[in-house]
Amino acid sequence: MDLAYEQIRNEVKQASIRARGESIPRRRSKSPTKPSAAWTAPSRIGSTKGTALSIVLSSIGCAHARGDEGGCTMCSYLLDGVNRNPTAEEFFLQFQTAMSQLEKLDSPLSVKIYTSGSFLDSDEIPQETRNRILRAISVDDRIKEVVLESRPEYVTDTVLADVRRILGDRVVELGIGLESSSDFVRSICINKNFNLDSFRESLLVGKKHNIGTRAYVLLKPPFMTERSALLDAQKTVTDAVSLGVTTISLNPVNVQRNTLVESLWEKGKYRPPWLWSVVEVLRHASFTGASTVNIVCDPVAAGKSRGTHNCGKCDSSFIDAIRTFSLNQDVRVFDSLKCDCWDLWKHVLEHEDASLQVHN
Amino acid sequence: MTEFRIGRGHDGPARIGEYIMGTEVYNTPILTAPILSDSQVITYGTIGRVKIHSSNPHFLALPFETHIDNPEKLGIRKTDSILLPCLPSFSSLGYTAGALMLNHQMGVLDDLQSSIESNRIIIRIPEEIELNVFSSSLSDFHSRGVRAAALTFDGLLSDLDYNSFLQRRYLPMSWLVLALGRIAPGTVPLLYYMGFDVIDIGHAQEAAAKHQRLWHNGTESIQSGQPHRYCPCSSCQNLDRLESTQVVDALLDHNVNVYASILSEAQNAMVSGRLRWLVESTTHYSPAHASILRRIDREAYSFIEEFTPTTGASNVPLIGPESYNAPAVRRFREYIAHRYRPPAHKKIALLLPCSARKPYSDSKSHRRFLETIETSLGNATSQIAQIILTSPLGLVPRELERMFPAASYDIPVTGDWDSEETNLAADALVSHMSKFDSNTVIVAHVSGGYLSIVQAAENRISQSIIYTSMETSPTSWESREDLQETLGDLKDILAIKGSKPQELEEIVRATADFQFGPGAGDALVPEDARLGGKPYRQILCRVGKEQVCSYVADTGLLSLTLDGARRLAPLNRYWVHLDAPSVKGGSIFAVGVREADATIRPGDEVIVLNNKGEVTAVGRSEMSGREMCELDRGRAVSVRHKLEGD
Repeated sequence: MDLAYEQIRNEVKQASIRARGESIPRRRSKSPTKPSAAWTAPSRIGSTKGTALSIVLSSIGCAHARGDEGGCTMCSYLLDGVNRNPTAEEFFLQFQTAMSQLEKLDSPLSVKIYTSGSFLDSDEIPQETRNRILRAISVDDRIKEVVLESRPEYVTDTVLADVRRILGDRVVELGIGLESSSDFVRSICINKNFNLDSFRESLLVGKKHNIGTRAYVLLKPPFMTERSALLDAQKTVTDAVSLGVTTISLNPVNVQRNTLVESLWEKGKYRPPWLWSVVEVLRHASFTGASTVNIVCDPVAAGKSRGTHNCGKCDSSFIDAIRTFSLNQDVRVFDSLKCDCWDLWKHVLEHEDASLQVHN
Repeated sequence: MTEFRIGRGHDGPARIGEYIMGTEVYNTPILTAPILSDSQVITYGTIGRVKIHSSNPHFLALPFETHIDNPEKLGIRKTDSILLPCLPSFSSLGYTAGALMLNHQMGVLDDLQSSIESNRIIIRIPEEIELNVFSSSLSDFHSRGVRAAALTFDGLLSDLDYNSFLQRRYLPMSWLVLALGRIAPGTVPLLYYMGFDVIDIGHAQEAAAKHQRLWHNGTESIQSGQPHRYCPCSSCQNLDRLESTQVVDALLDHNVNVYASILSEAQNAMVSGRLRWLVESTTHYSPAHASILRRIDREAYSFIEEFTPTTGASNVPLIGPESYNAPAVRRFREYIAHRYRPPAHKKIALLLPCSARKPYSDSKSHRRFLETIETSLGNATSQIAQIILTSPLGLVPRELERMFPAASYDIPVTGDWDSEETNLAADALVSHMSKFDSNTVIVAHVSGGYLSIVQAAENRISQSIIYTSMETSPTSWESREDLQETLGDLKDILAIKGSKPQELEEIVRATADFQFGPGAGDALVPEDARLGGKPYRQILCRVGKEQVCSYVADTGLLSLTLDGARRLAPLNRYWVHLDAPSVKGGSIFAVGVREADATIRPGDEVIVLNNKGEVTAVGRSEMSGREMCELDRGRAVSVRHKLEGD
């Protein structure tokens, strides 16, 4: 990357640090024995429908966000974490608390483990804790699918060998925030701090252990017009499919507290993506990856001003359609979506793109 | 070929011009939009993302992510102009971010330079940038041949828009300036006034998509089945019978028409010298319109004033507070304060109210005042200085009553003065009286609001003041009787003797000082000058055998002869320095000007010096001194007299 880009990237990094301010040391103190969040939702597991349990373990949070790199421009998930890293015992209690939600549920089940950071980072989740959690999963036969989230730098041959050994023949996926296949967008607009090559390496290590990759694709990081963001997400989907990911999870940006995105949003310099754009990317994903790749989207704060939204009148029909599509992968659900705000969205795509005036 | 040619005429920084894109010539000001082009609108869009339907030239935006290894492959045609890339919102992070965006554009310019001429390049000005960095970047871009820039507006008339208006001041005058973003029709006159040549009307589409019909002063929501305003335009004829999707198209047509009509109105107002009035009238569209003009007047006064002609329309309406600091008005007050010098030995200073009719001495009331003065002072009339109090000019010495805008302003007369007007006039009076001998006696023949001015100034005035019209109207028989008596008494007490009339000398001297600055009156009208003519027609001034200047009552201004110019030259003001030894033809073009006095405004009488520094011509400026230096073309001076022969 040339000097000019490096300077721009540095400016974004500094702004991210400023936006974060003192929010991390001032996190509210929480019980180290309860997960940040845990919820179940109907989910597509393999080719059938089942239930997925999502667990967000409360840890000290993502090393990239904690450190002096400032973290990603849109993410403050680590604010859900705690300031003192829980002990091995406490982590396991968090996990057990969450798992209690699966009692009485029938197979197939899926368990997704998030940490507001990287589950595979041994500094965040000690190796023995990680393996103990995985072993607990391995004894539950209802669980057919496990998703583990991590940045690529923690995806190593040894760690994945452990994972595969413990989980047996379950479907395992690594959730990695690819965000964008463009190094420019990922580094400058997101401040993500890894490049496409690291993602590709992690994906290959995964393949070696028959572990799939769930690529998180970000729709509309800051410093992009609606149309640039839409086109970038579509291209990322195409690239991710050809790299061989197993699932694409589309994440429209939502405005989280103490992030650079929030500080722009407060100044009227950022608008979360339109639901029209989300649908457009999903259509493209379906067209590109149909039958080979699972495509999901569970937009946070959808229909609200901090999340992906349209005009307000049509939002709930869009959100329903997106949920339905995530379950059945049938793109025809979008055909019935109609609203007067389509004209406005088309205008934004065109006019914002050339004028660079933020349409919010 | 791509070129921006600026034409003749100014009202504030507003100008007309031609933007040449290949074989197409677009007259500016012009509208731009990401919609179909016709001769009224230049189309703009993003390279690689718009389908180009027409052969007309476009403004094409380069997305930030574009790789420019091979500019030929980008699909840019020879006639298109290119908007350089910028990261949206990035410069809001601060000064460093703004500087990085200009830097980045400089890099892209380098990449493009081999295949795209720099005069087709439009830079985008970041919203935050430190002035030094901004100025030095601009001169870098200029030296590389860039001649256009775009500023962004969000339509809220808030700090972003205000900032863009202020940034416009720093752009070289020869550049084409674009206003992009959300721009409401009611903001178009102000944008044009501030020197924007291309105005984005993308909002026409945005409003149509929201089922809004735009009007010059606001929006109307169109809902089917609901009654709406009458509109005579053809697009609105079947509004009630259209399908929803057709409604959007009809509203778009209507909205575009509204912009076209407002721009045409603004341009017409510029030509007739009434653009400022039009801009002031927009302050009633919304409080935001009013506050942004007030803020701009305060902060960008010197920029606007620099391009405001010193002559103007024969009727200048000054209606509300936004007129108090209109450039022509404030400049008049400042010239009176800094340039005017009263004739020596005036024994009496008579303060009079203004009249609706201009010049004042043509009005019924002033004819009566003049009669009263004549009756009481007789052949000693020349010992009295007449000062007319008025808003918002402050005051007008009788000698300058035919000067623009004193001879042409028109205010709503109610007799009520607000405190700002009173203060402006009181300050002007204090400053004015400090130029008179302290033994001069002030006779205040005023009542009502005018009286309040004198009373507000009284403590700061050293001369003694006699009031002759406190209780009754100055025009009443009693008051005039009182005035006549007072003046008669003063004549005796002050032992005022008769002397020959000085009116012509005083008019020409005061006008010379006003036009050319202190010292000009003495230079043009020395003791041995001979003057002839009528104040209401023309006054000729000769020194020895040579005519030096003539005063033209219609404009209230002096025209110089070459001889007069030579007398003024040592003052080192209002000069235009040429590269050539002499002037050929009736015009001097900016390209031939080596340097020009920065105090020159459009409409000024100027002295033309040749390459040896000798007076070679006199004429009337067609642009400001800064433009004479910065522009590469266009008429700088219309020559009145020139040295013949060499």
